[in-house]
Amino acid sequence: MAGSRPVGKWGTIEPMAKRTPVLKVTALKKAFGPVVIVDGFNLEVHAGEAVALTGRNGAGKSTVLRCLVGADQPDEGSILVDGVAVSETNPQIRRDVATVIDDLDFFPDLSVVEHLDLLARAHGIADAEAAVDEVLHEVQLVPQSGQLPSTLSSGQRRRLALATAFVRPRKLLILDEPEQRLDTEGVAWLAARLAAERSRGLAIVMASHEPTLVRAVATKVVRLTPSAEAPDVEA
Amino acid sequence: MSKKSRKLIRATPPPPEQATPELLPEAAIPVPELQQRFYFLPDTPALAVHEKELHDLMKVWRHGRATRTIWEVLQDGYVALFTVVLIGAMVVNVVLHAQSGAAGCSTQSCASARLLMPTAMVFLSYAFTLSIARLFGPVLASAAEGFWLMDAPISRRRLLRGRMVTPVVIAGALSAVLTALSAALVGMDVASLLVWTVAAGLGSSALMAWAAAEQGLERVTLVRLLLGVFGGLALAVLLGVVSIAAGWLPATGALASQSAWWIGVGVIVAAGVGLAVALRSAGQRLERIRRARLVSGGSLVSGMQGAMFALDFGLIRDILVEREAAERGHVRPTKGRGLGVTALIWRDVERLKRNPKAFIALAVSLVVPYAGDALRMSQLNPLISAIGLFIALVPFLGSLRVLTRTGGLARALPFKTSTIRTAAMAVPAALALLWAVATTPAFIGIAQTGADRSLFNGFATALVTGVAGLFGAVRWVTGKKVDFAVPMMATESGAMPPTLLFNLVRGFDMAILITAPLILQQPVTWSLAIAGVVFVFLRGTFNMAELTAEQEAMKRQEAAAKAAGKEKVKIVRPAR
Repeated sequence: MAGSRPVGKWGTIEPMAKRTPVLKVTALKKAFGPVVIVDGFNLEVHAGEAVALTGRNGAGKSTVLRCLVGADQPDEGSILVDGVAVSETNPQIRRDVATVIDDLDFFPDLSVVEHLDLLARAHGIADAEAAVDEVLHEVQLVPQSGQLPSTLSSGQRRRLALATAFVRPRKLLILDEPEQRLDTEGVAWLAARLAAERSRGLAIVMASHEPTLVRAVATKVVRLTPSAEAPDVEA
Repeated sequence: MSKKSRKLIRATPPPPEQATPELLPEAAIPVPELQQRFYFLPDTPALAVHEKELHDLMKVWRHGRATRTIWEVLQDGYVALFTVVLIGAMVVNVVLHAQSGAAGCSTQSCASARLLMPTAMVFLSYAFTLSIARLFGPVLASAAEGFWLMDAPISRRRLLRGRMVTPVVIAGALSAVLTALSAALVGMDVASLLVWTVAAGLGSSALMAWAAAEQGLERVTLVRLLLGVFGGLALAVLLGVVSIAAGWLPATGALASQSAWWIGVGVIVAAGVGLAVALRSAGQRLERIRRARLVSGGSLVSGMQGAMFALDFGLIRDILVEREAAERGHVRPTKGRGLGVTALIWRDVERLKRNPKAFIALAVSLVVPYAGDALRMSQLNPLISAIGLFIALVPFLGSLRVLTRTGGLARALPFKTSTIRTAAMAVPAALALLWAVATTPAFIGIAQTGADRSLFNGFATALVTGVAGLFGAVRWVTGKKVDFAVPMMATESGAMPPTLLFNLVRGFDMAILITAPLILQQPVTWSLAIAGVVFVFLRGTFNMAELTAEQEAMKRQEAAAKAAGKEKVKIVRPAR
């Protein structure tokens, strides 16, 4: 294994940086009333790893992701990002974790390009214009750059949501069914982009129903099953 | 945005690629053999359609779903009925008190200024009627009607006739009631009161019918223009009230004289003729109104109804803002400035240029303290003016609204919640400060019998009023939607979430709390101290929900660490 150090008969010790996971979830439990959605969920994601959560509708993928970003509070268990307990309001977590889940809102009076410009500048990117231009071209929203979000099609809104995650610095990317509403070409682009992000050392956790995307991006697939059964992990 | 992007935007889009469908030979297309168990519609003879019967059928379906009679509903809501009666009695009492008080308004300037108020109300009701007409249609249809009825070969004119008459009647009735109330409050004589009431009612009805006729031609420019004219006239009359009451303009009493009475009669005649003509042309054009336009107004009404049931006024505003944005569609992008929090503040500055309409309400709110002082209401002036400013500042707090209603966008910004909130309040706070400076003379005292404060005290009072208005607006826009999952409160009208009731007073509570010491003749420092405490809570420094969540997260982490510590780690020793 690259970067590993052999230590006699003790086997190998990973370098410290690689051993510390970007995301560590321990014994996560979440229930809505009497209905237990997830119980005893454990996950470790290191830099350069991508985990895909799959499973049927209602298996708890979105619930897990909402807990990971701090939008929902788990009933039991702990979630750490770089050793810091996840809290939606912690500025360090906000800085490190880019998310695209179903609760992303837009300013009704700001155009597409202004949203991206605001996010890039808020994250302290000195050459915000260049970064915004690059992402705009990539998500193919240049002709819509002056449009207000309410006039975008659902696919274009999804592209804008993805652009908000790509235009800012991040250590961990959390995506809930990012392929939703994208055309075939868009899914292919997204797969290539996420694979590139992963190979550059970004940690990714995503829920997806798209086998092409999962195959191209994921280094580990966690198939979520109803809480009575144990999650099925395949590397 | 770079030059490259601009070029791309300007560039004409490439012509769509010509699709070359590959046609299969007819023989290759398998035709399944179906046993016909239905009739194709063209085969069946068409029957005559009666729109009224269709409507009646829909009514029967709707009534069939009702589980309670209107009498049962009234019995359940008797507390609400008592409230209405009580409020009605209070209004009558206020009118009687005001009329006796009008006798005390003995100077000519005071009397003249008061008698201008119904004129302002007439113009305001006209402007309000046109704005409502423009917003909803005024002719509208529900999504169900649009889908089920308008697809059928039926006369749209006959179907929508009732829909046209309803807003015309409502506009007339509402304007008449409001004008009558304002005329009674200023102590106008019965004959003049009747003339102005009828003028307002008929005029509003005529304008609503005219707006419906314009809707048939898909035109809005004239409606917008007239809306601006009546809004401007209302503002001019209000300024006139202040100026005459303050003694800046001579009290001619022109509008209280006999000639003013004849002006009112003239308005009634013109409005009556206009109403007849407008109703006729609107009726003829009903057939032309597009289904999309009709249904759009209907869906707006149903959305707002839903929000109204939850008393979620913020959501109602969100719906209107979204609709306006959808109508606008496109803006010229502007470049941001600064990094970090500065970028957020600068974007709000840019917004001011994009939304100049919001300044109209702010300009009107500047008149309120002057009018209050001129009309001898100096003691209540801070509260009334704070409420006026609170309403005017809401449109400037758009970014704070979006950043607090859902967590998604705030989560994308690398700042503390309190930092985000403070940044989003910065521009409105600057506007409130300017407002305070501009209204200081009103709080020092402009009328002879109005307020009498020193320059310092006047500015301090204006500042407190500005802060009260700002914090009222901040509290209003940061309101969360009603949580129906919390334990309910038992009321005579059934179970109710406690936050539903608080929504009614949200924002007003801050204005009352901060200005209360001034109204009670206490030192201004009390108000400033209360405002300081309110600010700490409003910016989210002590957000109880966040603190509890953080505490729970820490507890969970400790429990997880403890559980991990109990597990014995088995270390495999190397064989020696």
